[in-house]
Amino acid sequence: MTYMGTSPTRPDAAAKATGRAEYISDAVRPGMLHGAIRFSEHAHARILRIDTSKAERIPGVRAVITAENTPEVRLGFLRDNLALKKGKVRQFRDEIAAVAAIDPDIAAEAAAAIEVEYEPLPAVFDPIEALAEGAPLVHDVDPRGRPVTSNLMPVHFRHFSGDVEKARAASAYVAEGEWSTPLIQQTCMGTAGCIAEFDPQMNLTVWAKTQIPFLAQRDFNGALAQMGLRNKNARVIVPALGGGFGTGLDTHCYEYISILLAWKTGKPVKVQYNRDQEFAYLSPRQSATVRMAQGCDRDGRLTFRHVHVVQDNGAYGSWGATYPSVMLLPATSLYRVPNIYFDCELVYTNNTYAQAMRGYGNPELTFALESNLDQLAEEAGIDAAQLRLINCNEPNEVTPMGLKVATCGLRECLEQTAERLDWDNKRGAPDGTARGVGMASLIHVGGSGRIYRSDASGVILRFDDWGNLYLSSGGVEMGQGLHSSLQIVAADAIGVAPDRVFINQTDTSTCPWDVGTHASRGAFTACNALLMGATKLRDKVFRAAVELYPQLVEEALRKQRKRDPDAPAPSFDWRSRIDADAFDLREGQVFLSNTDDPVLRVDLGKLIRAAHFRDGGGQMFTVEAFYDPPSELPDWEQGQGNMSACYTFGTQGVEVEVDTDTGDVRILKMAAVLDVGKVINPQILRGQTIGALAQGVGYALYEEVKTERGRILNPNFTDYKIPTAVEMDFPIELEFVETDEPTGPYGAKGIGEPGLVPTAPAIANAIADAVGVRIHDLPITPEKLLAALRAKNEEAT
Amino acid sequence: MHPLPYHRPTSLEAALELKASLPGARFIAGGTDVMVRLKGGAPRPSALISLRGIAELTRSEVAQSARLGAAASVADLLAIDALREGWPVLADAMNQMASPQIRSSATLGGNLCNAAPCADSAPALLVHGARVVLRGPQGERVLALEEFFAEPGVTRMGADELLMSIDVDPPEPGLQTTFLKKKRVAMDIAIASVAAGLVMNDGICTHVRFAAGSVAPVPMRLPATEAALCGHPPTDARIAEARRIAEEEVSPITDIRGGADYRRRIIGVYVERATRALAARFEGSE
Repeated sequence: MTYMGTSPTRPDAAAKATGRAEYISDAVRPGMLHGAIRFSEHAHARILRIDTSKAERIPGVRAVITAENTPEVRLGFLRDNLALKKGKVRQFRDEIAAVAAIDPDIAAEAAAAIEVEYEPLPAVFDPIEALAEGAPLVHDVDPRGRPVTSNLMPVHFRHFSGDVEKARAASAYVAEGEWSTPLIQQTCMGTAGCIAEFDPQMNLTVWAKTQIPFLAQRDFNGALAQMGLRNKNARVIVPALGGGFGTGLDTHCYEYISILLAWKTGKPVKVQYNRDQEFAYLSPRQSATVRMAQGCDRDGRLTFRHVHVVQDNGAYGSWGATYPSVMLLPATSLYRVPNIYFDCELVYTNNTYAQAMRGYGNPELTFALESNLDQLAEEAGIDAAQLRLINCNEPNEVTPMGLKVATCGLRECLEQTAERLDWDNKRGAPDGTARGVGMASLIHVGGSGRIYRSDASGVILRFDDWGNLYLSSGGVEMGQGLHSSLQIVAADAIGVAPDRVFINQTDTSTCPWDVGTHASRGAFTACNALLMGATKLRDKVFRAAVELYPQLVEEALRKQRKRDPDAPAPSFDWRSRIDADAFDLREGQVFLSNTDDPVLRVDLGKLIRAAHFRDGGGQMFTVEAFYDPPSELPDWEQGQGNMSACYTFGTQGVEVEVDTDTGDVRILKMAAVLDVGKVINPQILRGQTIGALAQGVGYALYEEVKTERGRILNPNFTDYKIPTAVEMDFPIELEFVETDEPTGPYGAKGIGEPGLVPTAPAIANAIADAVGVRIHDLPITPEKLLAALRAKNEEAT
Repeated sequence: MHPLPYHRPTSLEAALELKASLPGARFIAGGTDVMVRLKGGAPRPSALISLRGIAELTRSEVAQSARLGAAASVADLLAIDALREGWPVLADAMNQMASPQIRSSATLGGNLCNAAPCADSAPALLVHGARVVLRGPQGERVLALEEFFAEPGVTRMGADELLMSIDVDPPEPGLQTTFLKKKRVAMDIAIASVAAGLVMNDGICTHVRFAAGSVAPVPMRLPATEAALCGHPPTDARIAEARRIAEEEVSPITDIRGGADYRRRIIGVYVERATRALAARFEGSE
């Protein structure tokens, strides 16, 4: 292989570096109007009256819509959300009305001029209180209008294996505790937005900042049907994305509102959030409380794991409500544990509704699990790294959830992390400083995650007459480098130079179906589909070569003799009948694999043109392939099923220093060792992983969407803090273990999310090692840490 | 945001006349506070009057003493060698304001006129006993910076006045200074900050200045803390006493950036750290 493991310039680099890439915020359509949304001013209230008359009179306003003058558009996988709210609002950001106007300022002014009269209702913001008897009901009827009696969501994820109570009683050591994680924002560099436009036949095109163009098409087609537009189609076009991180996993109210406004006005309508709106009106990562107990025997072998999760879902269900599907992975399968109890309660509250974010429940659960494991190590008097090694996952094992782990480099990840941290000398060392080291590991889906009937990805490959490869994939490039992976794998698998591989814009009208770019699946599934397509395409080329190769070589020889009459004849009889499998294709040259005579190499473009213009019927070189990974859709009620084709493992280690006077935590060093199967593009992999580490550091130490009775208090970067280059200014030792996964494209596993999964517990464990204090709720702010240190000192005196 | 009428006078007189003739108009310099507030939905002024075209306001004179143009950008001030050398604590504080991009637009005058309790330049200027020069229809007047801040977001400048310059005297002979700022990440407004100045003679603190930010309605001097050290050697007991007094002397609030108790504690820690660090600089020199 020539290009696997190298870092050719990514295809989108120049456009992005020069500002020429077109993000949704850049996109303009002729005659486009601008939409603005009027949001709720109450967390829970009945809508008594909406007066739009003032807004309608503002010059430049083209339409004002509410639930009263538009068809009902229902969304969400639980169908519990409406594009425009009717009857009552359930959260501060509920969409009540919207305006289309000739410019964004007029639209904003008109949205503000809409008068809404409310009757406030008792609200509930704490998921535990929401489950209490007599708590206000966020939804008093279900989508079909049947009365509801509880705020518990109708979503169930469980797993019971072995006998946890018996194992607990028999354990030599047990540790337990409760951990909680905050609402956090995805903070994509590119904020959310869309343009909706109807053509004269009332077919719809939506330019959407989405990670799921084909599920979005299905959702938008559903909306067209609800709007009474029968037999019409929605086309979804994906512009350049400034980060997705899970925000593009669902379709959003603002998208349906732009569709309704476009339908009402007959013009393209753009809704574009600015940073403040992104913070206030886009769904953050769920907050979760995890109660965790684990035990081990005298030798440190884990005996049981008991997990109970309460997830504050907010007012409506997004795909984020299925976080427990991924929580099940670490809960059942990180380290070897024979007896497991996992249960969760997903609760509606009047908080902002949450959605997916990188890691999808895994960072929440792993924070509790790996923190708790350090406590258990302390209880048992076993070194924390040793405890992990004793219980380490191994290749070719089947976990209690039924995950079929083929390749597993966790042992190497643990050992290398310990070595790079100088663990044996630094852990627990009473060196008079407030320095400490900690580690944590991860398991994540590495071969996509089946949460939908089809977990597939399609690809269409086409050569033009000059041997350029045009590649259409349903996978979404959102900055993570999918297009570079496709280019590299195409170059090696098909045999063309990377810069001859052109990736078409993701568009449901031209690209084949793909379930979506999530679950770290983009490169894994799209490149696997590409490998299937590559075989077909090469076969097509070689079958044409069987017919056309002799005449092309003849031409080349004739030209050569003209230039040099004394040129030696080729050593190989090119006029004989050659089988298709004797050919090879590399760097755009078709040749016979058993000879390296340059005159016997034929330019791919020439061969294609000869095939195209052949007398008596030419041909084209287009193939398609569709890859669905070898995995199972789990039975969620039982928590059983091999949801991914393979699994990614990794360990992160951190050395910290705590300022015990101020509570400040300084990271001195990080080590991250990941089993990635095989490296496709080392530069992008490093960038993606370091970006994930930075998000993990933010999650651990800084980030939190603060709310007060459902209202977001810090919807801006002034008060929502993410790490800057200064916070990340420490040595990062990054190592990739290559286990060569058989199901992976050229051995690669999915690696998009894992980098942030164990960062927070590694930091929490290092802090505990440094100062003997453990913080159970993220983020670990200096203020919390200082209070805990003072409490500990008071206890000691 | 809807466009606003925008004026860019080139003389002080023209600026003051415009202000008098346009009720509800607002001066704007770097715009790093005014524009953010406007975009955030603050009440709209009738017009904006830029001060950036007025040479008298952007010019600074720095020699034995300093006269800093109110509309000079923070980056331009930081580029003046004599300022960094003569008043390093001010340079430290300005260097910790926001980001390089913002510092190249933000002005020192804006930082003060915004009257935020967290204004980074204020504690450093208070340590040097800075004065502000105001100009209005009635002419010029000079106010000690300590008198300038009235309450959060409000100064004692008249509605018809503007800030011309910030005047700083030569530092006390031998003065050592430092600025300590508690922030959540590198780019942040202060959760609590302390600027300190110290002169020691024969082991005795003979000149002590402390000023604090983000721990009271306005940036403030800490006179009781200063008194606890002044005239004494900086013994552990004295420093502990100063720290205790400082924690009592400030009156922070709890907000989403930090709790009142935490801010108090940080002020105490910083008073101690600043005192020890500055006292150490006198060791060996005597």
